[in-house]
This record gives sequence, C-alpha cells and structure tokens, in this order.
Amino acid sequence: MSQEKLIEDMVREVLKSMTQAPQTSQAPSKAAVQGLTPDHDYPLAAKRPELLKTPTGKKLSDITLENVINGEVSPKDVSIAPETLRMQAEIADGVGRTQLANNLRRAAELTAIPDNRILEMYNALRPYRSTKEELFLIAEEMETKYNATLSAAYVREAAGVYERRKRLRAE
Amino acid sequence: MKRSKRFEVLAERPVNQDGFVEEWPEVGMIAMGSPNDPEPSIKIENGKIVEMDGVSRSNFDFIEQFIADYAIDVTVAEKSMAMDSTDIAKMLVDINVSRDEIVNLVRGLTAAKLVSVFNTMNVVEMMMAMQKMRARKIPSNQCHITNVKDNPVLIAADGAEASLRGFDEMETTVAVVRYAPFNALALLIGGQTGRGGTLIQCALEEATELELGMRGITAYAETISVYGTENVFVDGDDTPWSKGFLASAYASRGLKMRFTSGTGSEVQMGYAEGKSMLYLEIRCIMVARGAGAQGLQNGSVSCIGIPAAVPSGIRAVLAENLCTTMLDLEVASSNDQTFTHSDIRRTARTLMQMLPGTDFICSGFGGIPNADNMFAGSNWDVDDYDDWNIIQRDLKVDGGLRPISEEQAIAVRNKAARALQAVFKDLGFPEITDEEVEAATYAHGSNDMPERNVVEDIKAAQELMSRGITGLDIVKALANNGFSDLADNVLNLLKQRISGDYLHTSAILDKNFNVISAVNSRNNYRGPGTGYRMSDERWDEIKTIRQAIKPSDFDV
Amino acid sequence: MDINAQMLREIVEQVMQGIQGTEQPKRTIPVATGHPMTLVEKGEAVSGTRADEVVIALAPAFGKYQNKTIVNVPHSDVLREMIAGIEEQGLQARVIRVLRTSDVAFVAHDATKLSGSGITIGIQSRGTTVIHQKGLPPLSNLELFSQSPLLDLAAYRAIGSNAAKYAKGESPTPVPTKNDQMARPKFQAKAAVLHIKETEHVVPSAKAVGIDVKFN
Repeated sequence: MSQEKLIEDMVREVLKSMTQAPQTSQAPSKAAVQGLTPDHDYPLAAKRPELLKTPTGKKLSDITLENVINGEVSPKDVSIAPETLRMQAEIADGVGRTQLANNLRRAAELTAIPDNRILEMYNALRPYRSTKEELFLIAEEMETKYNATLSAAYVREAAGVYERRKRLRAE
Repeated sequence: MKRSKRFEVLAERPVNQDGFVEEWPEVGMIAMGSPNDPEPSIKIENGKIVEMDGVSRSNFDFIEQFIADYAIDVTVAEKSMAMDSTDIAKMLVDINVSRDEIVNLVRGLTAAKLVSVFNTMNVVEMMMAMQKMRARKIPSNQCHITNVKDNPVLIAADGAEASLRGFDEMETTVAVVRYAPFNALALLIGGQTGRGGTLIQCALEEATELELGMRGITAYAETISVYGTENVFVDGDDTPWSKGFLASAYASRGLKMRFTSGTGSEVQMGYAEGKSMLYLEIRCIMVARGAGAQGLQNGSVSCIGIPAAVPSGIRAVLAENLCTTMLDLEVASSNDQTFTHSDIRRTARTLMQMLPGTDFICSGFGGIPNADNMFAGSNWDVDDYDDWNIIQRDLKVDGGLRPISEEQAIAVRNKAARALQAVFKDLGFPEITDEEVEAATYAHGSNDMPERNVVEDIKAAQELMSRGITGLDIVKALANNGFSDLADNVLNLLKQRISGDYLHTSAILDKNFNVISAVNSRNNYRGPGTGYRMSDERWDEIKTIRQAIKPSDFDV
Repeated sequence: MDINAQMLREIVEQVMQGIQGTEQPKRTIPVATGHPMTLVEKGEAVSGTRADEVVIALAPAFGKYQNKTIVNVPHSDVLREMIAGIEEQGLQARVIRVLRTSDVAFVAHDATKLSGSGITIGIQSRGTTVIHQKGLPPLSNLELFSQSPLLDLAAYRAIGSNAAKYAKGESPTPVPTKNDQMARPKFQAKAAVLHIKETEHVVPSAKAVGIDVKFN
C-alpha cells in the first residue's frame, strides 16, 4: 500500500466516523453479511431463497395464494427485511455500486420506522419545513428509537447544510 | 413582397407550427456550451473536495456539496480530471475500452468535465457510446396509460393491451389527483392481465406516490424529481437530502425507484443561472448517483419543448441519456412527450435512443391516444404502434415491442375490464356495468366510454386509502371472483418486495417474474458480435407482421 | 494511526467550519405598466377569518408587469371571471399577491394559510392555475390546470365557481380537463420565457400583500 493510499484510507475513515455515528451499533447488521457475490448469489430469490425471510420470519415459499386467501399472509409479510436489504447492499458493492449499496443500508435501518412516520420525516426534510432543532430531534429519534445511525447522521448533515443555505423554517 | 409559392407551401408544413427560439445564454436558453458554464476543476484536501468547477467549498450550493461528498470518488478524481476531454470521448467510442473501465473513470469527473467531454462528440459517436454504456444488456420500453376522464375501466383495458404488446413498465397519472388510487389499481390489474411481471407506477406528488407504493398498489416509482439549481430544487419542494431520504424510504419498503430530471426544467422554472441546459442536467444525474438511486428518467422529459426549440437541443438530450449510463445508472430515456408537429422530426429524435437501445427507450410511449395522455401527450401513441413495429422490422432493432393480433388485444382488454369490474364489486366500489366493460374492450379512447359518476368514484378512491386496502386485498378480490391467474400475478409482484432483487440497477421482470437487471444481465458490448443480439425467437416475433403478404397467399 | 487520524480530524473539522452561508441575490423590481384594471396593493395580506371567502393568489407579475396570458387573454378579464365564478356561489373573493415565489403551487399553497375557508386559487401570469386547499402538500392540489394555452374565460369562471364550492364543503365535479398534445411544441418555449419574466419579480422572503381590485 502506497503512502498516498494509506493517507487516503485514513481520511476516509475519519470522514466516515464524522459523518456517521459510531459503527458499534452496526454490529448486529454485520452478522447478516454473508459474503455474497453478484455472479453466484444474485438473484437471491432464485439462487439463495434459503437466505430470504420476511420481517415476520416467513419463508418466500410460505407466501402462496392459498395462504393469502386463508388470511395467513399480512401486509407485513410482503415487505422486505433489513437483513435482506443488507444482503442486496453487498451485491451492489460487488458490482461497484457504492452509493446504491449505501442507500440500501440506510433503507435497512428505515424498515423499523412505521409508514406514517417515514412520510412525516420525509416531509420534515423538505425545504423550510423544520428548524435545526427539529431535524436534530428526528435524528435523535432515529438513533435511539430505531437504531438508525446512518440515517441519523444523514439528517444531521442535512440540518447543517440547510442552516448554511438558509433552507430551515424561519421562526 | 410577392410570396414564393414554395415558401408558402413550406410555411404550412407541420414543422413550422413548432416553436423555435434563438440561443439566449443569460437566462439559460442554450442547450450546450453556455459562455457561463464553469471550467472543470477539482481540488481535494484530506480526502474532501475543497474546490469543484471553480467554486470553493465554502461557496458550494447544496447541490454542489451533495455532489462533492456523495457522487464523486475522490480516490480517482484527480487522475480522471487530469485526462484530456477528447481522449475520454475517444474511449467512449472505442470498442476496445470496456464499459467497466469507463464507469471507473467517470466516478472521478465533475459536471463541467463531463460537459466538456460531450461538447467534443457528435450524435453518432454518442449513440455508439450508448450502445456500450447502457447498463442492462437487453433494451426495453415503458408506456403511459392515462385518460382524460380517469376512467378506470379503460385504464385496465389499455394496460392489458400495452403489457401484451411488450412494455415492461407502465406509468399512469391523473387528470384529477384524488382519482389516483383508482388509476393505480386499474393499471395494476390491467398490467398483470396482458402479461405477468409488468411493473406499474402512478406519478403523483412525492409523498402520495410513496404511500401508494407502500400499500402495494404500485410496484415502483419514478417521479422523484431532482433539479440542477438550488432555487429550482426548492421550488420543486425538495433538497438532495430529502430526495436521498426518499430513495431509502422506497427501498425500505422493497420498492423499485428511480429519480427523474431533464434538460430545460431549470429554464422552465425560471432559475437557470445562465448555465447550459446540459451542464445543469449533469448535476441532476450526479445527485441521483450520489443519493444511491439505481436509475434516472431523463432526456428533458416534460420540458422537451425547450431544448427542442434551441440549436443542438436534441443532441443535448442524447448526451444527458448517455451521461446517465456512464454514471452506471439505469436510464429511462424520455421520448415520452410531444415536442413537434412533424412526424419526421419526432422520429429522428427517437432514433437517437432506439438504435443504440436504452434501458427504457421511451419512458412513456403513449399506450393510449394522445388526446387521453395526461402527461400532455407523448412523442408516440397507440396510432403509431404499427409504425414502431415496422421500424423494428426494417432495421432489425429491438425497440421492446411486438406485433399482436386484434383477437389477442380484444381478449386481454375484455379480461382486464371484467377483472376490474369484479374487484370493484368485491370491494364495494361504484358499479362497473357490462356496458362499460364492452366499451372498454373495443375502445380507441375515452370518447368511446360511457360517463361515470366522477364524484362517487373520487369518494370511493379516497375510501380505498382510508379503509387501508392493500395489494393483498386486491389479490383476494381477484381470487374470490375467478381470476386466480391474475391474483397469482399480483401476488408475485408483491413478493418482489420480499427479495429486493428488483431494487438493483435496470431491473425488469420477465413473464415468470424472474429479475433481469444490470447485475445478472450486464451489458458486455465490445463491438460487432458482442452485447445484446436478438435471439431467433425474438426476431421471428418482430418480423412476423399481419400486413405482410405470405408466399402461401399466392396461387402459383 | 490514532495520532494521525486525530490530526486529520482537526483539519477536516476546520474545513467543515469554513463552510459559511452565502447571501441570496436581491432581485430588482422594474416600474409597473398600466392596465385596464387597477390593482391597489395594501400592504401585508391578513389572515382571513371568514369561512365564506376564497383567496385568489396572484403570482408576482400578474396584472402588474404582465397583462395577458400566454394566449393573450387579458389578466383583467381572467380575474373578473374568477371573481364572478366565486360570487355566483354566494362567496367572497379576496385577492392577494404572493411575492416570494413564482411557482404556481407555492403561490396557492402560501395563500391557503391566509384563506378563511382554506381554499385558494393560484394563478401565474401565463395563465397556469391551481385550486388548492389548506393542509395538502404544496405540490398536491384539488384541481390543477397546467396547460395554460387551453384556458379560456369560461374555464376561469368555472375554476372560480368550483373553488367556491370546495369552500362550501361541497364535492363539485372537477372542471373538465382539456388536453392538447400540441400545446407543448407550440408554447413551451414561450411559456418558459414568460415564467422567467415572472420570476424576475420574485422577492425572496417577502410577505404576501393584500390587493384591492377595481375594474375600470
């Protein structure tokens, strides 16, 4: 590793730790990492169905028309689990799509947040909707209530940018 | 002056009803190469971009900060930026340079540098580059299904015919916003009737669109607009961060999503800051990349009348599509909105994307007559189906569609209308009469449909939302009424959000709900004989048209 | 690594602190031109208390720097018809001008906060019109008439009338949407120019102003 590369890597680490909250709370998600590669494991539904679980713990093969009619499938059963999103993030990394992978990792965190709260958070991030304090409160809620540390850092960063660019709600 | 008879005839030609304007750089009415476009530059200190395209970090607007921190790879930026723009352009057209090599190089380029690359290229070179840079190996197509009355029965029938004709994605929107849940429901059922696996969306205000997706009424979203100047972004009621959050919100519900943008939108919205349309659009593409969207709809889209009015505007539109693929994003390449009265001009414009092939050549071929197109008219509509099919056949080009028979069309239209009729009844929505089913089966457009009680429909559409009806309720309603094949299809569509395979770049589903994306179907074009080549089966499908005389038709 | 990382962190933090806000450019306002109707600006628009009012919110240049729509319908006639449409439903029209934005959705959305009924009509100089309601997201609406070249006086009267019906709590049949796929080829560039001209009169952060309308 060249000296230049070493410094680059260090800077990257520093920036990561600055823009993202500490990675410790990410430990459980690391457990989901399977060492998946695009060529061997994608599409997961066809090649690695055994890895896929609904958020309610059902298997893909449990979601049948029969079970829907019997009322054994709820809307929560046809949604994505955070572990699945982290697996798909690995696949995205495997084809060099870093930003898509990071998006999927933020998405994994957001699975814990209810629909209406997600919509409210989105609206709060729109221009002139929130004060800096309100955005910080959302970030805190993300972190403490939903363990969404990447998303919390993203919201805090937005609050800073909105302040500098005068896009916060004027009191 | 005594008039020349030739000039008099020319004045009456369709093209002369189009609006044209001269370049006006001060307000951004210039497609490429505005004198106000910045010079490419980059300075990186401690792994952070501190200057980009002549602007220092402390003066970055929110778009620039987002691009600098999320879209540009600082590990390669200095090397990439040091390259000569013409050399990069030559690599784009060189079959010996791989797509991956270009993608890795482009990670380090700024918006101004990308503009300088396109400034050196002509449209044929851009098409050559597009053929290589498109993310998914197989090109595809998308349609619009709307009507001026928001008639749900007609939407179901039109959706069924369109999916049978080969569209992998279908988009609806509304004449009246409160009709939206019905439009989406009707298209969901119609889409799965023509062929299983068709993806559907409903273009709406951002938060509402997300809600329909969460409910499982729609399968993906596209109207996540981004803009190239901060003022216009704010007028669009968003920021790069709110849009980035929205991208994650969609993925968190297992929903495919792409952003949308296009040249001319900043001019149209009054804040272009004197920059060229292409420069501003490339900033949008970089925002999409930075936010982690898998793809982008661009190519001016609804603003096409603006670049089309200025010199080199249609070239700029191709450049923005190409740029999207270079940033390794899915491109839904517009060709979806009327911009000219001239059939010659609208065909020339589309060949730019149709010949090299894009992920979605049209991001809205009108699957309805243009008068019913609530995106204000497409560059192509139902009356052009045979022209499109025959252009595919003439050139042996895959434009994503296939010829179908009248009997097939009538059958799927009728089935979709009946299925919607049954679902409406099952869910207690206003009655769909047999007369309406019959009309939708044979209709050309909404003029052929009996009137519905709009007020009652709107009330029921709101109920669909307030009662908490989801995709699963639709599955049940279909199954309860003898449409178990459609129920299965809708359920399979819902199941996509469990695996998330279709969240990847350029994902579509085949009729067996297998995902085809730029992960398992990566474009590997490296010159003649490589990349996407039509299969014999596909070629048979394209070349077999009902209009052609067969040898057996002759007595001899 | 620790020490170096610490050093780098400090440098990066300094850079981050160096980021400061920049001022929005102030826009200059040219002198008004004359019109067949008189619009008297009365200072900051007030919050309405009457549930039977519909607020018509004009974009910055409407009837002031521009006086006709994209298809040359005089602004005075447009306003007269919208007011008549509201009044024929037995409701009151109140006119204000929004200055901080030229975007029709935001013009109308801003006004919903001032409208006693919560119902507003937003209109741009080129003629693009929207009926909005308090509580809806800005880019949503009750009815949107995005194709300005297709709007005639009858349409504006119907828009006024429907807005009033919403204010009365009714669910009117929406004004029939017109669609002309050739409006874009013909008018989009002109529409952009008119909008640019309107946007030149935006005053960032300015409050909406109340307007007395007199038809001469």
